Amino acid sequence: MRLLKITKWELKNTLWSKKFIMIFILQLGVLILMMTFFNSFITGIDSEKGVSLSPSLSGFASIAVSDNNTILVNRINKEVLNIEKMDYKNSFARLKDGKITTVIVIPENSQKKVKRFQTISVKLYLNPEDPKQAVVLKEVNSSLEALSASISEQWIDSLIPSGKSANTRVKEEKKGESLPLQLINKMMMVVLLFLPLFLFGNMVVDSIVGEKERKTGEILIAMPLSHSDIIIGKNMAIVLTIALQLAIWILILLVAGFNIENPLLVYIGVVSTSVPIIGITSAVAAYSKNYKEAGIGLSFIYIIIVGFLIVPALAYVSNGSKWSNISPMTMIIRLFSGENTPAIDFLIPIFSIVVVSLVSYLISIKLFKRDDIVFGPRPGIFRLMLDFLGIKKGSF
Amino acid sequence: MINISSLTKYFGKTRALDNLNLNIKKGELLGIIGPNGAGKTTAIRIVCGILRPDSGDVTVDGYSILKDPIKVKSMIGYLPEEPNLYERFRARDLLRYFGELYGVPKESLDWRVSELLELVGMEKRARHRINTFSKGLRQRIAIARALIHDPPIIIFDEPTMGLDPATSLAIREFIDGLKGEKTILLCTHYMDEADALCDRVAILNNGKIRDMGTPEYLKAKIHGDIILQIKIKSPDIDINEIDALDSVENVNLKGLNLSISLSSKDEISDIAGLIGNNMLSINTKEPSLDDVFINSVK
Repeated sequence: MRLLKITKWELKNTLWSKKFIMIFILQLGVLILMMTFFNSFITGIDSEKGVSLSPSLSGFASIAVSDNNTILVNRINKEVLNIEKMDYKNSFARLKDGKITTVIVIPENSQKKVKRFQTISVKLYLNPEDPKQAVVLKEVNSSLEALSASISEQWIDSLIPSGKSANTRVKEEKKGESLPLQLINKMMMVVLLFLPLFLFGNMVVDSIVGEKERKTGEILIAMPLSHSDIIIGKNMAIVLTIALQLAIWILILLVAGFNIENPLLVYIGVVSTSVPIIGITSAVAAYSKNYKEAGIGLSFIYIIIVGFLIVPALAYVSNGSKWSNISPMTMIIRLFSGENTPAIDFLIPIFSIVVVSLVSYLISIKLFKRDDIVFGPRPGIFRLMLDFLGIKKGSF
Repeated sequence: MINISSLTKYFGKTRALDNLNLNIKKGELLGIIGPNGAGKTTAIRIVCGILRPDSGDVTVDGYSILKDPIKVKSMIGYLPEEPNLYERFRARDLLRYFGELYGVPKESLDWRVSELLELVGMEKRARHRINTFSKGLRQRIAIARALIHDPPIIIFDEPTMGLDPATSLAIREFIDGLKGEKTILLCTHYMDEADALCDRVAILNNGKIRDMGTPEYLKAKIHGDIILQIKIKSPDIDINEIDALDSVENVNLKGLNLSISLSSKDEISDIAGLIGNNMLSINTKEPSLDDVFINSVK
């Protein structure tokens, strides 16, 4: 496998290059700065003085609660969750239709049980197809934890004879993140995870356009290697570099206290997403005559890729559209949120990754095989497309 | 060993090669000479599998470049016109890289790299980066790179172009040392280089072979055994009078330079007499490949 030899040497040269080490350190610096500013932002939002939240987050989800004694309702953030009064006749139908996200049933005798410090069972009904359920569940859990802590505290106080104060006090150690923060966290986290994928475009350009500009491609093509060995070997080195950087990136995020469920699956998912992105980048680089042209091409292409990744992910967070699963970013959000996701929902982004990878690498190899693309005179994109479609005579 | 048959190649609407046919025997050193844009580089790029012909084929030792490109490429060592090497590599690493890609066994690679570095006189610069080398040193490393897998065929495209006389001489001597041992295809602009090194020379122009043969055969083909070069004071001279002499085969006047091809030296004094006081200097020379080349492509 001579392509592995190309990969080995490309990787070796990259990792030992001073430029790469400098870029790598700068990227880590940017990550740390982003995390620092992000934390300051969250602290600002979470403080009691309050920073106003985005209006779009108010009324994010609706829940129906049967809580006659209002022991839980008072603790739920009503700015974000609309609380409907429980109506046994209609609430479950509304849950099924996706009009409300959760139904919570607090037993009627719970007030008495709380006073006697007895356990109460809260029933929570969720619609598993509703993407909002994970964040609503966290919000409800936070409220329940706060309630539980308060009851425990009262119970301990009741055990202590009057006039004496308890040395040990039960405190609500963790208030839990508010719902809007969870949403911001999700988008922020996914952006942080996907950022490294877009930082290596210059390396792809250098390894392909560089061969043309330095005229070293001629020697490489004269080697007993196929064009696919060259393109795949070079790109594999870049995917491995991304994998390395991403591993460090995720470790830093975990150490910094970001909550990432299924970190290994998240890692594999993001690295897999890098494969088609590098493929598309190499197709642009294979066609480009020089660095400048490749840079302009990549700017356009990356805008489209980012749109393809982010728009469905936002659609998923806001309304759980089924089409949103096409974006690998949606898959990653669901993975690191620890959502219970049906396997079929993962098949769609995996399919999109495989198809885009195959198509982009095929195009890159076909382009790199063409004499006119590598040595000139290069045909225009329109002419190439006609060749590709077999409409005009050519060698595509 | 190398059989080029009916090669045609277009770049856009420009025809770079026009039904080119060429045979190179095993152990032969064949030179291809021709003016700029004649199609020399295109031809050797097709032989090396870098370009695909629009029609025709090249077979090397019976293997087609179109059907078995990997097999053919593994038999060829190619030195391009410009020694474009990876700047970031050290000399030794560069040779190791290409050695691995050519499939040189790991156990013999280090030895082979050292042997080649010594052969091209670069053993002391083995750990230096390519970007610190002059053009001559790069060319030496590029030659070592082309030989790393000990190929039976070596293709040199203008190997001494732009080099100082000493380095050019060293490289010519190196190529001369490979004669007989390897099959060599040499593209050059320098006629003296082709004359000194090549067993046969092909003259290429407008994508076609204009003439081919040993340097001696080609030189003998052009008119005359002797060329008389005369510098004159004024162009007012009757060329027809000179041309009428028996031993004169060709007369060519360019500015104040008169070139006369002669079949014998017998009438040199008669020619001098015809020119008389108009003559500034006179000398004789034997035909060179330059004359053959100019004669073929004019």
